[in-house]
Amino acid sequence: MNNQPLLEAVNLSKRYEDGALAVNNVSFFVKPGEIFAMLGGNGAGKTTTINIFLNFIEPTSGEARINGISSHVEPLKAKQHVAFVSENVMLYTNFTAIQNLDYFVRLGGKTQYTKDDYRKVLLRVGLQEEAHNKKLKGFSKGMRQKCGIAVAILKDAPAILLDEPTSGLDPKSGFEFIQLLDSLRNEGKAILMSTHDIFRAKEIADTIGIMRQGNLVMQKSREELSGENLEQLYMNFMAGVYE
Amino acid sequence: MLSTIITHELKNIFFSPKFSVTFIVVSLLLILSVIVGIDQYQKAIRQYETTTQLVQQEMREARGWMSLNNKILRKPDPMQIFVAGVNNDVGRISGISSFFAVKLSHSTFSDDPIYAVFRFVDFAFIVTVVFSLLAILFTYDAINGEAEKGTLQLTFANAVPRAQYIVGKFVGSWLGLIIPLAVPMLISLLLLLLWNVPLQSEEWLKIVSLFAAALLYVTFFISLGIFLSTMTKRSSVSFLFSLVTWVCMVFIIPRAGATVAGHIITVPTVAEIEAQREAFSKDRWTEYEGTMQEKWKARNAPTQTMTKQEREAFRDSKMWEWMEEDDRDRKQVQVDIDEQAKKLNEDLRNRKAEQEYLAFVLSRFSPASAFQLAAMNLAGTDIALKSRYEDALNEYRPVFNTYKDKKQKETGNSGGFRIEVNSDTGVKIDAGREKGVLDISEMPQFTHPKHTFSDAMASAVIDFGLLGFFSLTTFAGAFVRFLRYDVR
Amino acid sequence: MTKLIIEKELRDIIGSTKFAVTFSICSVLILLSFYIGAQNYRVAQAQYEASKSANVRQYEGLTDWMRVHSFKIFLPPQPIATLVSGVSNDIGRTIEVRGRGELRSQDSRYGDDPIFAMFRFLDLDFIFSIVLSLFAILFGYDAINGEKERGTLRLTFSNAVPRAEYITGKFVGSFLALTIPLLIPILIGTLFLPLFGISLSANEWSALALIVAAGLISIGVYLSLSLFVSAKTERSSTSFLLLLSIWILTVMIIPRLSVVGADLFVKVPNMDEINSQKSRFMSQIWNEDRTKLNGFTTTNKNDVQALMNEFNKYMQNLADEREKKYNEFAMRLNEDRYNRQMEQQQLALFFSGISPSALFSLASSEVAGTSLKLEQEYLAQSKEYQKEYAKFMKEKTGMNMGGFAMVFRKITDDNAEKPTTININEIPQFTFKPIEASGGIGPYAGYAGVLAAFNLLFFAGAFAAFKKYDVR
Repeated sequence: MNNQPLLEAVNLSKRYEDGALAVNNVSFFVKPGEIFAMLGGNGAGKTTTINIFLNFIEPTSGEARINGISSHVEPLKAKQHVAFVSENVMLYTNFTAIQNLDYFVRLGGKTQYTKDDYRKVLLRVGLQEEAHNKKLKGFSKGMRQKCGIAVAILKDAPAILLDEPTSGLDPKSGFEFIQLLDSLRNEGKAILMSTHDIFRAKEIADTIGIMRQGNLVMQKSREELSGENLEQLYMNFMAGVYE
Repeated sequence: MLSTIITHELKNIFFSPKFSVTFIVVSLLLILSVIVGIDQYQKAIRQYETTTQLVQQEMREARGWMSLNNKILRKPDPMQIFVAGVNNDVGRISGISSFFAVKLSHSTFSDDPIYAVFRFVDFAFIVTVVFSLLAILFTYDAINGEAEKGTLQLTFANAVPRAQYIVGKFVGSWLGLIIPLAVPMLISLLLLLLWNVPLQSEEWLKIVSLFAAALLYVTFFISLGIFLSTMTKRSSVSFLFSLVTWVCMVFIIPRAGATVAGHIITVPTVAEIEAQREAFSKDRWTEYEGTMQEKWKARNAPTQTMTKQEREAFRDSKMWEWMEEDDRDRKQVQVDIDEQAKKLNEDLRNRKAEQEYLAFVLSRFSPASAFQLAAMNLAGTDIALKSRYEDALNEYRPVFNTYKDKKQKETGNSGGFRIEVNSDTGVKIDAGREKGVLDISEMPQFTHPKHTFSDAMASAVIDFGLLGFFSLTTFAGAFVRFLRYDVR
Repeated sequence: MTKLIIEKELRDIIGSTKFAVTFSICSVLILLSFYIGAQNYRVAQAQYEASKSANVRQYEGLTDWMRVHSFKIFLPPQPIATLVSGVSNDIGRTIEVRGRGELRSQDSRYGDDPIFAMFRFLDLDFIFSIVLSLFAILFGYDAINGEKERGTLRLTFSNAVPRAEYITGKFVGSFLALTIPLLIPILIGTLFLPLFGISLSANEWSALALIVAAGLISIGVYLSLSLFVSAKTERSSTSFLLLLSIWILTVMIIPRLSVVGADLFVKVPNMDEINSQKSRFMSQIWNEDRTKLNGFTTTNKNDVQALMNEFNKYMQNLADEREKKYNEFAMRLNEDRYNRQMEQQQLALFFSGISPSALFSLASSEVAGTSLKLEQEYLAQSKEYQKEYAKFMKEKTGMNMGGFAMVFRKITDDNAEKPTTININEIPQFTFKPIEASGGIGPYAGYAGVLAAFNLLFFAGAFAAFKKYDVR
């Protein structure tokens, strides 16, 4: 397997028009088969970082690369290599789960799938069969989240961006989700995930970064963290103890 | 409790950013329409006066009493500033003469069809279309919008009686919309004073009633919006339904009503009726000529044996009597023709009245039609405008003709020209008077049909009633629905 | 990719409540308008025939062509005019032809039956310019910001989707979704037309096709405008309020105010005044001629027939001269008014060109033959007819009627010969040649061109706005 980083932030900065510095000179990378978890409070710059990867906003300086392609120079090319699951997956409410899957997967450039493939993936992410042909209108947040992950899986991109994917999920769904991430990692995906959930992060991530006020204040691998109390570390960073 | 809800609702409307923008636009439109209306009215008055003077001048210069014809113009009514109604579709002018039936011709729209292409914008139009839409825009999410925002749940976590809440909602929205809409109306009253539009107390009453009808109409749409917002869970759905209901009520039902009525009851055209009248008149005149021929044969019979002198003496002695007799017969023919015309006209009118009645019944399912009808009735620019004028003209015509005949007899000058061909005396042509003007100062004046406030109200009262009924039922509907509304 | 977006857009809209509602309203309205249009046409046709035959009947039994003082002609109804009525209900349908003098149309449908003037008709023009333009807004107001509110825009653009393709797909998809509820009932309606007893000529079919085409372009304008506004605003409720205001202004207010505005710049002399001046002038010159009558002398003291001919010839000469004088006088007034009226019309039409719905109405009335030209065309054709009529009457009576000719009725003692009745059917028939669709194609193309330009402009605006749109 090629061991070049699939997701790479290089001196990434973003200053909004109102002057707020959302991301300040952040650098990290995620290699295939790795999960990078970004921790941080609200407004720490996690979502902004992901938005830059998706070219939803342009970086003020530095760049975000997907598979070595700068996301704001060649956004369409870059986005071919990435799948995305947002904090609150929103799909077309008057389409069924399958119809939504079909549309978004095709948008992602994958046209070869059959209904059966959709069904299998939906089952894999834990959506009951009877829900497959129901309209999204009555879906709970967890069910929608599962659909979103199914879209990401089917897109079969080497890199996956997850923006607080487990927030609002019940414990069982959260657990299943972590297992799913694990299996995706084993398939060789590079996964960047932002999250509030310290325990889940510790459980699954290969590398953990902590963001505060736009800065990546800590970045440690699983090995480096072993034996440390991540919760205490996080609280200290949030309180600015190390500054 | 109630006042808390009401003031909250008022604040909600007044402080929403869309309110100030829409309110200013709507007010400007209304004021603009009134200014345009005043301008058009004053222009119409000037034209009315100039033309009336021209008509008078022409009459004074007429060849003689016999050929004196009058022309009557419909007098512009200041109420048309607010409600143009059918004013521009109905003819403005009618000739008054012995031979021709009255007929209003020359409508503004047929003279200047460009106006007909897009029609006019007036107070009634703006209220019907714009005000109603505005009312719906601010009420369609009155209940389900609060449910979506989650504030309804919070509200009813307190000990708030539902009845009070819905009443408060209604009163609050009503005050919040009616007060701003009343402002441009009051400004338009000021404009009337400023431009010196001549208004009698009757007209002020009409205007005030018109405004009342407008507010009642807006009230209906307020309660309709609230009602529809209690019917559905989602405000987007209630909005769709409000908009569709609005389109149906404002545009589709009125048109469909009239069109269907026109389809069920067909009315012959004026041209057809006129042709029938002409046919009768031609027959009658031919018959008259036949009897004349017979009469003259009989009159000439005794002269066969006379000498030329005797013949002339006999004729001279009898001539006056004969002429009077002929004149009587001629007048009788005209009377017959007029009678027949009246009958034909009445038939046509009855049939039309049937059609109009049906159209009104069908279109009154829409409050927009009820308001328009009320407005037109109040302004006197209703469908009956035409027949009111025709009646007045028909009343005036014999008065005018009698005056003309009397004058002609007094002066002894027919004014027509007489050509006598007589085998004895040859050709004699009398072309009537040559110079001077007629003194028409004593001529009976046409009195324009009165449309008093009580007349107007008598026909508008049903529409007021309907508007009230519509408002009440929709509000009752909203009330009942809300008592069982799922506030979660 | 575009195809996929179009497909999704179509499916999204067709599955929605608003589609169900608009589709049913459109279908009912369009079918109703076709049915009612056909019925209206039949009623109008029957009325036209009735007026014509009643008009002929009044001359039956006459024994002398001299007694035919005038003959009325009527504007026949046109089937397309019931679908796009234009000004056809506002202009006079009847013209009295006297052989000479000015012609004037009177008895407009709306003047005769003000009930229809008050409510107007439910025709295709109304459906397109008012109802469908509103539906176009309803379909497009949340095209962009609605997707953002729903949260689907983020997911969409996490894929390699070019924005140009996305917005094109949106436009094409919603346009197609809007045209389906339109074209299906229109097709059914046109198929039913023969069943309703209306047969259209090839010319009328092409007019109908052109009208529908113009309707589609004007709907496109409202749709691209909606796309533009929805790409310019954050919230769909804001874009809807804005679009609804634009709709009210362009559909209801601007066209109406355009005439008032034109009125401010160009003053058209009042018709009543002009008519009074004309009629006064007429009676003046007639009075002058009356004095001349006294100067009539004859050499034929005994032959009444010869005398009558001589007198009528004398009268005719006077009448000819009078007509010449009158025409000169009237022409000046008419021309002045006509020129100003044209100027005012041009200006009003120019102002109303801001409104897509007005542009559609104007374009469709041009090919339907119910534009402002209709009255001029009717008058022009009836002028031609008047010449024919005058020629015919001259053959029959030996003189040009319509002056103040005298008919002498000899009262004779012998009633030996019964006079024969005239055959009124010999009179030339007036057949109105309706304005062909091809005749209005020039202005139609102009109006449709402006509509197309609006489409391009708003779509370009939507495109530019969406390029910079924050899809987060």
